[in-house]
Amino acid sequence: MKLTTLAIRNIKRNFQKYIMHFFSLSFSVFTAYSFLALMQNEYVITAFTYSTRYRAMLKGFGIIIMVFVIFFLISSNKSFIRARKKEISTYALFGMTNRNIGKLLFLETMIVGFAALIIGIGLGIFFSKLVAMILLDISLASFTGDIAFTIDPKAIYLTIIIFISIFGVMGLSGLQVINKFQLVDLFKADKVSEGKSGGSKISLIISLMLIGTGYYLASLDDPLTVVGVSIPVLILVILGTYLFFWGGLPEVLSFIKRNKSSYYRGINLISTSAFSHRMRSIGSTMATIAILSAVATTAIATGFTLYKNIEKNTYDIIGYDMYFYGGQEKILDDIYRAFEKHHTKIIEEYTTQRYITSPQMEKIVVDDSRYIYDETDYFRVYSQSVYNKLVSLSKSDLKPVHINSNEAMYVSPYIFEELDEAVVGQLLTFSDQTIKITSTLRSGIVSFGALRTLVLNDNDFERLLQSGDILGVNKNGIPYDKVTIFNYENPLKSRALDNELTRILSGNVGSYRTAYNHYNESLETFGLICFIGFFMSMVFILMTASLLYFKQVMAAEEERHHYRMLRKIGMDSQVEKRVIVKRLLPVFLIPLLIGITHSIFAMKAADTIVFSNMIPLENSYIIVLAFSAVMYSAYALVYGIFYFITKGQYSRIVK
Amino acid sequence: MQILKVENISKIYGGKKSTNKYVALKNISFEVDKGEFVGVMGASGSGKTTLLNILGSIDKPTTGRYIMDGKDIATLNKDELAKHRINNIGFIFQDYNLLDTMTLKENIILPLALKGHKVNIIEEKLFKITKDLGITKILDKYPYEVSGGEQQRAAACRALITSPRIILADEPTGNLDSKSGKDLLELLTFINKEYKATILMVTHDVFAASYCQRIMFIRDGEIYNQLYAGDNKKQFFDSIIDVMSVLGGEGR
Repeated sequence: MKLTTLAIRNIKRNFQKYIMHFFSLSFSVFTAYSFLALMQNEYVITAFTYSTRYRAMLKGFGIIIMVFVIFFLISSNKSFIRARKKEISTYALFGMTNRNIGKLLFLETMIVGFAALIIGIGLGIFFSKLVAMILLDISLASFTGDIAFTIDPKAIYLTIIIFISIFGVMGLSGLQVINKFQLVDLFKADKVSEGKSGGSKISLIISLMLIGTGYYLASLDDPLTVVGVSIPVLILVILGTYLFFWGGLPEVLSFIKRNKSSYYRGINLISTSAFSHRMRSIGSTMATIAILSAVATTAIATGFTLYKNIEKNTYDIIGYDMYFYGGQEKILDDIYRAFEKHHTKIIEEYTTQRYITSPQMEKIVVDDSRYIYDETDYFRVYSQSVYNKLVSLSKSDLKPVHINSNEAMYVSPYIFEELDEAVVGQLLTFSDQTIKITSTLRSGIVSFGALRTLVLNDNDFERLLQSGDILGVNKNGIPYDKVTIFNYENPLKSRALDNELTRILSGNVGSYRTAYNHYNESLETFGLICFIGFFMSMVFILMTASLLYFKQVMAAEEERHHYRMLRKIGMDSQVEKRVIVKRLLPVFLIPLLIGITHSIFAMKAADTIVFSNMIPLENSYIIVLAFSAVMYSAYALVYGIFYFITKGQYSRIVK
Repeated sequence: MQILKVENISKIYGGKKSTNKYVALKNISFEVDKGEFVGVMGASGSGKTTLLNILGSIDKPTTGRYIMDGKDIATLNKDELAKHRINNIGFIFQDYNLLDTMTLKENIILPLALKGHKVNIIEEKLFKITKDLGITKILDKYPYEVSGGEQQRAAACRALITSPRIILADEPTGNLDSKSGKDLLELLTFINKEYKATILMVTHDVFAASYCQRIMFIRDGEIYNQLYAGDNKKQFFDSIIDVMSVLGGEGR
């Protein structure tokens, strides 16, 4: 019989085993092709690669993905070959040389590989439009262009070259596995011990201490310190994780074993001993997967949180779809015409006078730098009703307030705890009245050009306006510019309208902002990060989960005789089901939980560095966690699906 | 007292429509009484392993009744069979069949753990049995760390710990050297005497068979002959050899 025929027959006969292998190969090819095609896509090129920063980012991302794909393929290939140990040993028993077995496996890899290449590239072409659309849609606010369905010869060519070399490496690494097999394994394979996993209290304690220190450093409050310690934190946590799986978890297991009253229940006895027996061979894989899960969940959670907060952040800063002050009489007609021309309905429009006031007050000094001047500086000032009107029109989360007589609220974009303490209780002395600051608010949206804003009770405001403490005109008697705000339909989508508004406003008014502009700038920076986060997470999730699948299926082949024996002793099918659940669940659950725990602390660091500035709330970490939880659940869901696939396959094998 | 009763059991491999029928057992009937040490002998392919599998309720007879504890075992469903095995039957296999993921101690208590016994009861039974069978010192070792004889002792403990109605031993000495084999046979005799355990042992080793009180010879799926041990062990041994040589099996 020729090797080719044998190879084809093997694939047909081992179809069940091959299908996951095939799936993972195809997915790797699909990933590589999609990425390469993306790099060649002209829309993507015009949108991103003009900037060297973005180009470097995409390239770096590409390298990470490729390295990971290679690591994944080689290691899944090794598991796959080990799972077929018996079959391979039989060939050897009948006198096939290692060279020939190697050739046979290489042929099989190549046949399956070519099929995977065709399917993977086919899927890649089929979805290329979608992938590019997702990228552009995530990162460009007003992307409406239609991407042509393209077949990219250069990407196909590169993918084929890359994968043929990877398959070559896979073949060689397979040969290495075969050479390690001893013929005697055929008879003894199941009896050979993997060795007791050496757990020790010391490594458990050290691993927990390493991780704990990492967590502690990551949750420090000062952003600069957190940035500074990020590399040590990574090293601590990674070392701690590996140590935990190598020495700590076996110790935890032996601790469980010492609790006889629960360990001596049949199910626990079987599943715990089988799991701890596997620890040595699967420990490193689980540690790697825990860390990759941490990276992936953090990437995806950061991306998602950033992305979800861009729009909110825009309105927290700008407040309205558009505002400007000054020049109303010159340009309002042009603005109405622009809206009409673009068939956009104005939802809200409001114009109000701006007032300032400069009461006498103490200097407030925090940390040796003065924050509030009392002489040359001024406050923007609103009556409670105007403020509430502005707030109700704004698209931020601000709530209307009630200000008592003789009290004031201090509003500024720059408020932190110490300043808040210093400002509250301050007296503002006007010509015939003193008013006390009783509360503060961190927001920038009603200031319209001022650094500090006060909100007063309506009556106080009226009286101070009468007495000349509040001024609507400058020193020369010229009234301050009025401010006009607009909210309108589809504010973040219409590029043409925004261009026209910008043209009308620029140079003709005191100042203006549009939500569209701010939103778009943020999206360009963050959108690409988000996309990379999503893409990378998807790859990591699917690959780590299928790696676990391979390891377990391989283990199932070796554990088959255990189940046969247990059934002879009298294990019924109910117990068997529960044993399988208890045997497999920790394999998926432990790395997932550790990965997510790592990620929760990584998000704390990310919150300190980035999000606390972005989300103007007391406890931005809660919000960040809420967004992260969505992604954690998605991650857990995929793992859950893989767990069930694995359980099904495992049960079928040990039947 | 009768432990089990087999009535007209047949086992035919190959489906009803299959032309390739193979009859492994033909209308076998016998009884085993409490406290007996019965041997089943026969050449390869005589059907003795099929018989053992049916007695162990791992396999079902094609026709016939197999009664134990007043129940026809052949009519039980899968989970009832599992329950039946764990309560009534102890197995000793040729290749020990200990789980290499567990220590000897864990292997031995496994059936009790599966039955859900309390820790103190488990430990009590474990202590007594391992002391009697002389493996107390190696309880915390893994199967691959001890000799074949010791593994088979552990397997015997596992079979015995549930106090089953019958212990089925499938060529228990097959993988052991002659010294360990002899030790094990003496152990089985000890179990038979001290624990009043009923033992049914399948073997084609004449020496092993000579430890039994009664031997059933099987040829081509039928009971060919039965021998009872007398007072003279030498004589018993010789008569076994005589029967075996007629059977054309492994008699020497």
